[in-house]
Amino acid sequence: MTRKQRQRFHMTAVFITLLLASSFVIVPVLWMFSTSIKTMEEMFSLPIKWIPEVISWNAYKRIWTDYPFGRYIFNSILVVSGATLISLLVSSLAGYGASRFRFLGRTAFLTFLLITQMFPSIMLLIPYFKLMKTFGLINTYGGLILAYISFTIPLASWLMLGYFDSIPKELDDAASIDGASRWRTFWQIVMPLALPGLAATAIYAFIVGWNEYMFALVLASDPSVKTVPVGIGELIGQYRIAWNDMMAVSLVVSIPLIIIFLFLQKYLVSSLTAGAVKG
Amino acid sequence: MKSASRFLICLTIFGLTLGFGQTTLKIMSSTIVENPEGTVEQAIADAFMAANPDITIEFIGTPMNDIFKTVTTNAIGGELPDIFTNTPEFAATAEDLGIVADLNEVFDAEFLAGFYPTALEESTVNGKLVVLPWFTVPVGVLYRADWFEEAGLEGPQTWDEFVNAAQTLTQDTDGDGQTDRWGFAMVGSKNGSGFFRFTHLLRSQGAWELYKDADGNWQSDLGSEGMVNALRIYQTLNESGTVPPGVTETSYGEAVSLMASEKTAMMVTGPHTIGAIIAQNPDLAGKIYSVPVPMGTQRSASLGVGGFSIAESSKNKEAAARYLQFLVSTENMLEWNRVTGRMPAQIEAGDQPQISGPIYAGFVEAIGYAKPSPQAPFYTQIQEVMGEAYQAVLVGGVSPEDAAAQAGAQAAEIIKNAE
Amino acid sequence: MAPSSKLRAKSRVPTSLFDPRQTPGLWFIIPAAIALLVVVAYPLLYGFYISLFKTNLLTRWEFVGVKNYLRIFTSSDFLETVFTTLIFTIGTVAGQFTIGLSLALLLNTKVPGRAFFRTILIVPWLFPEVVVALLWKWMFNPLYGLFNDILLKLHLITEPTTWLGNTATAMPSVILTAIWKGYPLVMLLMLAGLQAIPQEQYESAEIDGANWRQSFFYITLPSLRKVIMISLILNTVWWFKHFAIIWILTQGGPIKATSVISIDIYKTAFESFSFGPAAALAVIVFFIVFFISFVYQRLLGRDD
Repeated sequence: MTRKQRQRFHMTAVFITLLLASSFVIVPVLWMFSTSIKTMEEMFSLPIKWIPEVISWNAYKRIWTDYPFGRYIFNSILVVSGATLISLLVSSLAGYGASRFRFLGRTAFLTFLLITQMFPSIMLLIPYFKLMKTFGLINTYGGLILAYISFTIPLASWLMLGYFDSIPKELDDAASIDGASRWRTFWQIVMPLALPGLAATAIYAFIVGWNEYMFALVLASDPSVKTVPVGIGELIGQYRIAWNDMMAVSLVVSIPLIIIFLFLQKYLVSSLTAGAVKG
Repeated sequence: MKSASRFLICLTIFGLTLGFGQTTLKIMSSTIVENPEGTVEQAIADAFMAANPDITIEFIGTPMNDIFKTVTTNAIGGELPDIFTNTPEFAATAEDLGIVADLNEVFDAEFLAGFYPTALEESTVNGKLVVLPWFTVPVGVLYRADWFEEAGLEGPQTWDEFVNAAQTLTQDTDGDGQTDRWGFAMVGSKNGSGFFRFTHLLRSQGAWELYKDADGNWQSDLGSEGMVNALRIYQTLNESGTVPPGVTETSYGEAVSLMASEKTAMMVTGPHTIGAIIAQNPDLAGKIYSVPVPMGTQRSASLGVGGFSIAESSKNKEAAARYLQFLVSTENMLEWNRVTGRMPAQIEAGDQPQISGPIYAGFVEAIGYAKPSPQAPFYTQIQEVMGEAYQAVLVGGVSPEDAAAQAGAQAAEIIKNAE
Repeated sequence: MAPSSKLRAKSRVPTSLFDPRQTPGLWFIIPAAIALLVVVAYPLLYGFYISLFKTNLLTRWEFVGVKNYLRIFTSSDFLETVFTTLIFTIGTVAGQFTIGLSLALLLNTKVPGRAFFRTILIVPWLFPEVVVALLWKWMFNPLYGLFNDILLKLHLITEPTTWLGNTATAMPSVILTAIWKGYPLVMLLMLAGLQAIPQEQYESAEIDGANWRQSFFYITLPSLRKVIMISLILNTVWWFKHFAIIWILTQGGPIKATSVISIDIYKTAFESFSFGPAAALAVIVFFIVFFISFVYQRLLGRDD
């Protein structure tokens, strides 16, 4: 085989493997879709039907008319965007500080980040509620944002630390010789190079917040601040699960996430050139 | 009534000082997020607000699976709504937390006398009426009357008849050599749904999972002969193939789907399930009848009270009482029954012709056998032991004798540790 | 952090910890430190505190010292629960890493349609846990389930299997669901990490005659070491505490096959409302995962 043939063979193998892997995602998702367009009667018919006899789009109408999902999506976007932006800012600062400086307490700080994740969250529910009550943050966007950044900052900071470490320190030194302040070096020189890490971190923070259920349920029970997962939780009744509505909502609300992912993933890749700086 | 008027005065003064008389009642409800329950509940609240323009009702919908967790968290944080969904299972905890008003002081005795005494008894803790009963969901057996008739069977009165009917109705209806219809939608999951159903089989064998003996000490019959018998009945039903595959993963929802998709003939459950089944399969309307849980050595039933509590911390107790009194009218209870299948908690509503006929016969009879469940802080641990015992017999290949012996020992350990 | 990393920090960076040139670092971490101290410190301390009481958190506070802990350590099935939890955690984290890293490597090639694959493969992560769990419970269902249907049609099995209802298959099924839900995060992090490796390194390695295996072990893995370590630690911590998926799929059953420690905590706290013992269990979990992350750091450590 020539080099070119070998490469084509490789790419075909990679392509087929990815196709197979994707099918493990696509089949369940198609099943969700198929469930969402079934009527209650056909949901449990045997044998299994991929394409229902009666195709009903009612679930997609009901999620806007019978349930205030429009409002929930608005709330979710607001809360989660806020939490994501704050996490990004705070954790890139922390990551940069821990990457570039060896100050007293650095190690303790990095350990503390991990420790905050180690206590079972179900036992944090009551103290979080008490805390938010003290701050007057029950049933506010701010309360949820505060809760969510406390979940996302630790991994986000560690990730940013990792990405900053991969950017050569010589760049900072060169900038400071040119007279740039620490802050300007960080903001104008190092941050642009850390974009792929920032994009990955943003996706992480956004999705964690978007799917969080338990704290949203308790900290934001008022309909005006309820988020999407809490709305979905209401479709899982004690006596009956509204399968078609639940699947319809889950698919619909994943669309904004996919759009955000599509938007952010170009930054994930851009480091191919950024990394070249290192050379 | 005296205290009610005191609240009224307080409320008026409070309202006057603030310069407005508008009261907002916050109600945390689990049924408001269900369908069709929520529609009825909202309509009742709307009618109430139309009649009482000084009161605004705001519902906080919380799924039943999460409601007591949410109530507890809110209570400990000091931010409880005025009214919240409550049941006898949580009544003792709520009273222990000191978060519920004594409804004996809020409502007058004459009004309360209209409820089934057992319903009030189950809702009372330490002499305090903690829950105002709104509906009951007595436990019984739902069965496919049409299939039973075809097979020349009557609704099962004893467990022998039950097992026999289950075996007779397990069939291969399309003749392809594989069973496609089963006798019994057994709920074998290790959760509240599964525990609850097994409990009534157990008690019908004369054994109680937990009770106080004459000296006031906790006792458990989980190691007794009655437990062995109960486990053996589950074993027989499962091993003779009368239960669809996957018994331990069949929880309430799966069992309802089995009934609705006409895969099973019987299910141990309450009257609300009829509504859930018909919502999934309207063809089954009128084909499902009920009998009480079959006899072993005795009958067993529970009332399954559902209702509302008023928070001790509420500043609007009078308005809350007015709403609840409006809610539990005969007319509303009948409408609630018509739409959701749940049965009235008041005698007058329960006596209406709507609550009769073969569909409800078994549940009406069951009310007479109802006994409250024990209220001990470690009760859920006892249930857990019970769940592991029946799962061990169903899928673990353990004999009923061994499973009972182990369950008995574990129950004894739990009781000992609690003291 | 492990003491070793402190030593290395000293030996590698030619400045003292008290060097004034290093203090600006403090300013950078202060926002994160404050945010976390404000929100997390109190809940953590509260958890430790109530583990020493018999309490309903409102009207009853009875100090019992370490009694809650003693009871847990002497109970007959505590070790079994920890063991089950470890199996679940190891299975899930190992599966997510194998799949996540492999997919990231494949997506890092110039394969046609990689933007499409990247998007599709991230999808499981976009659904809330409860939806994923209910979806899989439904697919595992012996009667209506997709799994049996497909496997029967492919003639891989001859009769329907009860995946979740069998003590032997329940744990693998639960792990499979958890892997499906969680591998995209690993994939994403690894992908971002891979993108940061300069292409030139591979090129010069190739010129030196290195095969792909050598490139992988001498270039790829070392470059990913830090992101692998941190995501291993956090994934292990998260999945060790995980609750929702197992609760919905099996409630810890059949019998005790999938009975993990977080189910015990949940039931003790919000079904029995015994907050003291539940907090004690939570504290024990805290120390277990702390120990695990310490071990990881010793093995993969060197944060400089």
